[in-house]
Amino acid sequence: MLAQPFPLSDYAAILPLTIVATTPLMILLLDLILPKGAPRRDAAVAVGIAGLLLAAYVLVRQYLAHQFAPAFGFGFILGGFSIAFSLIVVAAAIFSLLMVLPQRDDEKVGPSCALMLWSAAGAMLMAGAGDLMTIFLGLEILSLALYCLCGMVLRASPVRLREARESALKYLILSSMASGFMLYGMALLFGATGSVNLAALQAIPAGNPVFAMGCGLFMIGVAFKLGLVPFHVWMPDVFEGAPLPVTAFMSVVTKAGMLAVFARFLYGVLGTDHQALIVPVWIVAGLSMLVGNLAALSQIDMKRLLAYSGIAQLGYIVAALAGTSTLGMRYALFYLGAYTFMNLGAFAVVALISRDQEEDSHLSAFSGLGTRHPLLAAAMAFFLLSLAGLPPTAGFIGKILILASTVAAGYQWLAWLLIAGTAISVYVYIKIVRAMYVPVDLAHIREIRPLSYAPWIAVAVCAVATIALGIYPAALHDVLPRIR
Amino acid sequence: MSVALANYIALSAVIFMIGAAGVVLRRNPLVMLMAIELMWNAANLAFVAYARASMNNAGHIFAFLVITVAAAEAAIGLAIVVIVFRRAEFVDVDEVSVLKG
Repeated sequence: MLAQPFPLSDYAAILPLTIVATTPLMILLLDLILPKGAPRRDAAVAVGIAGLLLAAYVLVRQYLAHQFAPAFGFGFILGGFSIAFSLIVVAAAIFSLLMVLPQRDDEKVGPSCALMLWSAAGAMLMAGAGDLMTIFLGLEILSLALYCLCGMVLRASPVRLREARESALKYLILSSMASGFMLYGMALLFGATGSVNLAALQAIPAGNPVFAMGCGLFMIGVAFKLGLVPFHVWMPDVFEGAPLPVTAFMSVVTKAGMLAVFARFLYGVLGTDHQALIVPVWIVAGLSMLVGNLAALSQIDMKRLLAYSGIAQLGYIVAALAGTSTLGMRYALFYLGAYTFMNLGAFAVVALISRDQEEDSHLSAFSGLGTRHPLLAAAMAFFLLSLAGLPPTAGFIGKILILASTVAAGYQWLAWLLIAGTAISVYVYIKIVRAMYVPVDLAHIREIRPLSYAPWIAVAVCAVATIALGIYPAALHDVLPRIR
Repeated sequence: MSVALANYIALSAVIFMIGAAGVVLRRNPLVMLMAIELMWNAANLAFVAYARASMNNAGHIFAFLVITVAAAEAAIGLAIVVIVFRRAEFVDVDEVSVLKG
């Protein structure tokens, strides 16, 4: 059946992926050629961003051409669905690369950028994955690069170095274990159907025990990577220990890749026949909203706080899929897009106020920011309000849409949990906003001298997008219906 | 005389559980990595057994893919264990506790 070579159009389908995967080679080559110092550092980031922008351009072209093409024998499915997720991954990677610059260490900037791009390529592969093998391959490309990235702190204190390496070890062991669960689940799914293709899995009648067990193990892997509640313990530690740009990258890219896989599995395989198998996922999503926000209340480290808030945010996004309606998928994508901008915007602000060589993400760094740096404080306040889901921001519209879809799907209890979670989260975010604007003795506040102004670009773009999506959500909504 | 498919699957399930228990119970990161390898290879065994039973080569190919990825993962894993415990006399994950979990 597959004796013939793949047609050229198959390779055209994965062109954006190929661009993102080959750019790192160029970065590493330049790293060898260019003189040490600013040229080498800036070139790595510039080439990385150029590669990502080129990939984004190709993705948009593919989208406008309404391409829907299964490539490589249904291994990779190009379509609005994969393009939307890939675009989110690419945008997140660009913002994260901008945050690499303020942390100057010439030795590690090149490899960091390269690994980040490879990781993004893995997520893009997951976005289009049409069979279990591609899902596994994409997941591992994403994860293996991230294990290394977590440990790669740029010049730092011994404690900071130990933190980062510890986070790498924790992530490695827990994530590999989750991959093990997922892999065994895949083996059982393969056993139940005799095919690795997601489309073939659909044909299984409900009540097949091997299929049910395979689904369960697969979902444990998914829940772990998404950081949903019983499987979330790794997230705060890994987020706190990893370098800031990597944390920012992880908070969106791993989630986007895994959400794509989860949504495709949910819509393509489970559909409406296997609703009983999927109910635990909604319960887990509801728990994530509560536990994530409650745990965020007591955090004093910004990265840890954003990790816990990320757990809750992912709960909201997964809740949008409850009922497996087409509309729910669209709303989940809208919220994922909004989450990308507001979350990475907040991370970019943290990157800007970090102390010179050291990352300083303690909440006290934010006190007095309103007087010291009104523009930055305003942007931060805006991102936090959006994360809390207050109008007039993208987060608000996103939450309303999710509420609408969960209620329409008949999951009222999930909608109530969402409202409860949101109520708690308002306290979490308002606490930081208050710290920024409460008048303090300016003599005690340290000067903010960011080493690079690159994250400003990320802050500006994210702020504009958060406002624009909040005021004129139709912009994205008009585009989304084409997604399948 | 051939062995029934169910026996292979039972064996792979036992190996998988030994691996999962190993990751949870053992405190030596090297042993934990080995336990993870057990989990992955239990899946491999299931893949190959199912592939043989259903005469579908996809399972064999999947097993090769997993072996390749596992090798890369082991290389990265050992490197991380080395940098974390470079100055320690013995390795124990309970010692790795700067970050409060």
